[in-house]
Amino acid sequence: MIKEIDLFGVFVPPLLAYAAAAFAVWYVLREGLSAVGIYRFVWHAALFNTALYGLILSVIVIAIFR
Amino acid sequence: MNLSRTARFVITSFVVALAVAAGWFAWLTYTNNPWTRDGRVRADVIEIAPDVSGEVAQVLVKDNQAVRKGDILFTIDPTRYRFALAQAEAALSGREEEREQRRRELERRARLSSAAITAEAREQAETAVATAEAAYNEASAALNTARLNLDRAGVRSPVNGYVTNLLVNPGDYATAGRASLAVVDSDSFYVAGYFEETKIRNIREGDPVTIQLMGYPDELRGHVESVARAIVDRETVQGTADLIANVNPTFNWVRLAQRIPVRIGLDVVPETVRLTAGMTATVVVRDGERPRP
Repeated sequence: MIKEIDLFGVFVPPLLAYAAAAFAVWYVLREGLSAVGIYRFVWHAALFNTALYGLILSVIVIAIFR
Repeated sequence: MNLSRTARFVITSFVVALAVAAGWFAWLTYTNNPWTRDGRVRADVIEIAPDVSGEVAQVLVKDNQAVRKGDILFTIDPTRYRFALAQAEAALSGREEEREQRRRELERRARLSSAAITAEAREQAETAVATAEAAYNEASAALNTARLNLDRAGVRSPVNGYVTNLLVNPGDYATAGRASLAVVDSDSFYVAGYFEETKIRNIREGDPVTIQLMGYPDELRGHVESVARAIVDRETVQGTADLIANVNPTFNWVRLAQRIPVRIGLDVVPETVRLTAGMTATVVVRDGERPRP
């Protein structure tokens, strides 16, 4: 899991891959939540979304490095 | 749905606080976890120098060829050393004749009565035998040296390994003691992981390690052998005038962590992986049940 990402010959840290994975999860989750109607219980939607993304990314990083 | 403004604020703040806490924890985990992308495959490189001087007669290996311990790599023109051996043999036989002559003399003088020979003459004969014996031993040692020199005209590999960067050609003049060929010791491959000092705390000798080479998908396994105990202090300049410290002035906001080499012994290398000293590796130290950051 902890491995360099080969991006067309440029080797980048694995954090970039985790960020991409987190984005995918976050995108699906956001669509789901908005379909359920969670956003009616939310103060600032943008702030909530940012926090949600940060949370997902953190959980992925912790899960991989633990 | 008549949800109050306060409830909405509380829910959002809770999620934000959770994200900040998780982010902080994830950052600590990411930075303190002992892994690095700056690993290098390394090996002992033996610089082979001939023990005797002379023109290179034959080069018996090709570039990058695998050699075994004791294989002859190249030969120095042995003619001179053959002649030296013949000379030493001749000197030895001369000394041997000399010694036998002195012995016979001593024998004859020993048989004479004390009326016919002085004690001094007898003593001199004994000394002559001892001297001839010493001269014989000297010549014998010189003969062994000549044999050794002739033998060393064939330069042998001291290890199992691979010839690398072969630059010596027949006809080159090889000087004793000056390296003319390098052999990579194939039994000595290891990985040097350059870990930031923030991660060193979580590395212990014997920890299992997985290694991922840049060019291979296979995973290598190893263990932490040792951690370097010294790196250069880049803030000071050594050897300055007046023997006083010369410390660089600083305008530091961002400080960079120093990196410390950790030596990793290889335990499992897949058959498909062909190691070359200098390859880049990602090194991950897997730890046991140690306290975490």
